[in-house]
Amino acid sequence: MSEKRWLLAAGVLTGLCAVLLTFAGNPVNMGFCIACFLRDIAGGLGLHRAAAVQYLRPEIVGLVWGASLMALWRREFLPRGGSSPLLRFFLGFGVMVGALVFLGCPLRMVLRLSGGDLNALAGLLGFFAGILAGVAFLKRGFTLGRNYRQKKAEGLAMPLGVLALLPLLLTAPAFLFFSAEGPGSLHALVLLSLAAGLAVGAAAQRTRLCMAGGIRDVVLFRDATLLSGFLAIFLAALLGNLALGNFHLSLADQPIAHTDGLWNFLGMTAVGLGSTLLGGCPLRQLILTGEGDSDAACAVLGMIAGAAFCHNFGLASSAAGPTLPGMAACTSSLVLMAVIGLCHSAKSA
Amino acid sequence: MTERYLATFFSHFGAVRFGRFLRERGLEHALMPVPRQVSSSCGTCVRFTAEALPPLPEGDLERLFRDAGGVYEELLSNL
Repeated sequence: MSEKRWLLAAGVLTGLCAVLLTFAGNPVNMGFCIACFLRDIAGGLGLHRAAAVQYLRPEIVGLVWGASLMALWRREFLPRGGSSPLLRFFLGFGVMVGALVFLGCPLRMVLRLSGGDLNALAGLLGFFAGILAGVAFLKRGFTLGRNYRQKKAEGLAMPLGVLALLPLLLTAPAFLFFSAEGPGSLHALVLLSLAAGLAVGAAAQRTRLCMAGGIRDVVLFRDATLLSGFLAIFLAALLGNLALGNFHLSLADQPIAHTDGLWNFLGMTAVGLGSTLLGGCPLRQLILTGEGDSDAACAVLGMIAGAAFCHNFGLASSAAGPTLPGMAACTSSLVLMAVIGLCHSAKSA
Repeated sequence: MTERYLATFFSHFGAVRFGRFLRERGLEHALMPVPRQVSSSCGTCVRFTAEALPPLPEGDLERLFRDAGGVYEELLSNL
């Protein structure tokens, strides 16, 4: 089967799994959302105290381990790291700030579109603008430096750390936090969430499915191979939502979304720019983590820290709209990314 | 005899720099996404044709393949 067909199949699988998870209890238009799920995990671990968004999402465990198992099976598990890990942490942090101003990662942006949420169109435009800016930095010679082969323990540390969430979720010790209401309280059965995550994680590793990479490759090489996965997710989820009566075309009253077009745009601009500088969207960072890439793990840890920071200091948007501190943090994230982009470009050396 | 090669790099910039190097020597080449057959990374590679292998960049180069019509034979790996 050709690379594009594998991507189409992975996209359809991801879109259908997302619709299934929503049907089975996940929040609306949030079958998968890497930013929201990492935020929920941060809350579940008590790193922030926003009572409505605390849950140890098993989809994340599934995504990382689906990628790990597929990579081990195909002998592609390669412990590696050492490519500006601290900068990746801060880029991941900035990506999360942007995602929580918009209210979703690029994957949820597509799922919101497939549910008829027109606010996500502003997000899509912003995501595209951010990737264009990232490509401009790539053309200036941007690089975070090469990675190096690492010992197995380095590559396995984060997948094993993520795996430890499962016994914590199943035993629910008193020191953890589980939302009683709000998005964090809405979830599918653990086994179903885990299975969907494993399937999508394995497919994403096999195909290199990446929301940011799809647009980047079209801009850089006029190559739409990766983008086809992105489109397949949208179409599969759209058909699934239409079939289940979950398609509601509007700007107002969309679930876990706000109608501020400018900040939907700028939030996703930060996500697009940060993802391009990191070499992949939040989903891709999880998949690379599963393959043993400790640099990607640093970006994921940055996202978790960013989520905790956003909810501890009122930076995350709500259905009422973005907050003033959130706007300031998103602007600061864009500036920080631009500075990193400039300082790490060959033309500035 | 002219051979087709495919080189992968640790960074996009490494591929751009090698592409520039090949252009200065008048060697036919193209920058493109890394084919899935050769790597799970989604970076940039350089496909080029040459009668003899040009000097290869130290540090930047990840792997080098001989490209026999979509079948890739690994010649070098710095992984």
